[in-house]
Amino acid sequence: MVLDVRNQAAIVGFGLSPFGRNLPQSQLGLAAIAFKNALADAGLTRADVDGLSIHLGWPLGVDYDRVAEAFGLDIRYVNQTWLHGRFVTQALQSAALAVATGMADVVACVTAVSFTREREILGGPGDHEGSREEGGTHGEAPVYGLTGPASGAALAMQRYMARYGATSAQLAAVPIAIRKHALLNPGAVMKKPLSLADHQAARWVVEPLRLFDCCPVTDGAAVVLVTSMERARDLKQPPVAITSMQGIRAGRDEFIFAPPGLGINQQPTGQVTPRPTDLEVFRKADIDPKDIAAFYTYDAFSPLVLFALERFGHCAAGEAAQWVQNGRIELGGELPVNTSGGLLSEVHIGGWNSICEIARQLRGQAGARQVVDARYMQWGTCWGDSIIFSRV
Amino acid sequence: MDAAKPLPRISPDNQAFWAGCKRHELVLPFCTACGKPHLPPGPVCPFCLGDHLEWRRASGRGVVSSWTVVHQPWFPAFKADLPYNVIQVELAEGPRLTANVVEAPNSVLRVGLPVEVVFDDVTPEVTLPRFRPISLSPPGRGELSP
Repeated sequence: MVLDVRNQAAIVGFGLSPFGRNLPQSQLGLAAIAFKNALADAGLTRADVDGLSIHLGWPLGVDYDRVAEAFGLDIRYVNQTWLHGRFVTQALQSAALAVATGMADVVACVTAVSFTREREILGGPGDHEGSREEGGTHGEAPVYGLTGPASGAALAMQRYMARYGATSAQLAAVPIAIRKHALLNPGAVMKKPLSLADHQAARWVVEPLRLFDCCPVTDGAAVVLVTSMERARDLKQPPVAITSMQGIRAGRDEFIFAPPGLGINQQPTGQVTPRPTDLEVFRKADIDPKDIAAFYTYDAFSPLVLFALERFGHCAAGEAAQWVQNGRIELGGELPVNTSGGLLSEVHIGGWNSICEIARQLRGQAGARQVVDARYMQWGTCWGDSIIFSRV
Repeated sequence: MDAAKPLPRISPDNQAFWAGCKRHELVLPFCTACGKPHLPPGPVCPFCLGDHLEWRRASGRGVVSSWTVVHQPWFPAFKADLPYNVIQVELAEGPRLTANVVEAPNSVLRVGLPVEVVFDDVTPEVTLPRFRPISLSPPGRGELSP
């Protein structure tokens, strides 16, 4: 009989650093600001934190040991991932499992990035990931000059467009919606409205992706504090329950930036519909996709939002480009997406900014961005992992 | 050829692929148990976990399964080539290979474009496979048929 961890862990605090470009602090310096803000938010002290789930590390940052040393912590549980956005969910899931099983009482999930300082490591001669045995993590092929994580998203979107007839102008609805949300967020890096004309006039980065289909290079940090639900109920903030979880999918059917069945890398080309395995997270929460009040996803590149929406059955396969038109994914629409501005417009810290926004929303603290009467919100990525959160 | 462009990293699993390219042959690892070829070259058959792989010559033909044109100068060594294309080819045998299209402008690129391999001796030791469009037009009067 498997352990039932539904609603056994909760987010009890979160803290952010300032977000921006060319910030003067080191990555650890940004993390320190976020950590202190998270402790204050939760009403906890440094001595309470006995677990670390680190979404830092290679290629840009340090590991758990330096974080614990720099902040003077006393840790008995560690989960270490590396900095790629694909590990956001896993870092939070590990924290939930740790507190639900008693391996830790309070886990701090930590991420901090100075992309503006470390940018040559991304997608250029300093990027060694593409040179590992048989290639990089986003489909890189350095021998042919294909580096930069955007490349994988570009190849996927090209094939998706050929298959379904989607256009760049349709894709623009994604960054346009998310920019609108950022304009309601004083902490977001991007401050100017984005129109369809702006999107279409902007330069190509890697076809079919244009400038505004790719997130800007930014700096920032976030810390999220997780405890058991029992402990959460005694703390200062309304607990945000981690209701259900499903993990990263992997295998020949999977490519990090394409839905199964699209036919990138070695994926077979086939029918792409939400399969039972993709909807596990809803079954465990005993809800349907339509019960989700707002959806949050890894949006370093705009096609990934389309793929995630389809993957979790929020719309049918091949329909997302059409489905996101006419404000459907904007606040006030049927399914608001990335309501604090995502990676595309708030900051690139992997998606932790969206996790924090989910917590704000379910606590009722989202102000001008508040989704009314929200009970369930979902974080779900185009590579198949997901967490459903709920108001307690 | 600009020697600052990265070269493939040879490993025990892919060494035969690159040796084939040097001979101007596209070769693929086939599983002797289940018969399937796979890419990228790995240590076992990913379909049946079989240990006995045999490298065989492939047709060299395929279709473009996806493509992109790079406009961002991520690599100083590639800057002079901007905007340059990179493609994925679905080989006739099934596996897909990332490469680029040559002998044609970027404007011909489309999903479904039939292509055939050509070999580029980029250094005395290393040859890269690239692809060119296969012309499907019939021979004109007076030309030999293929």
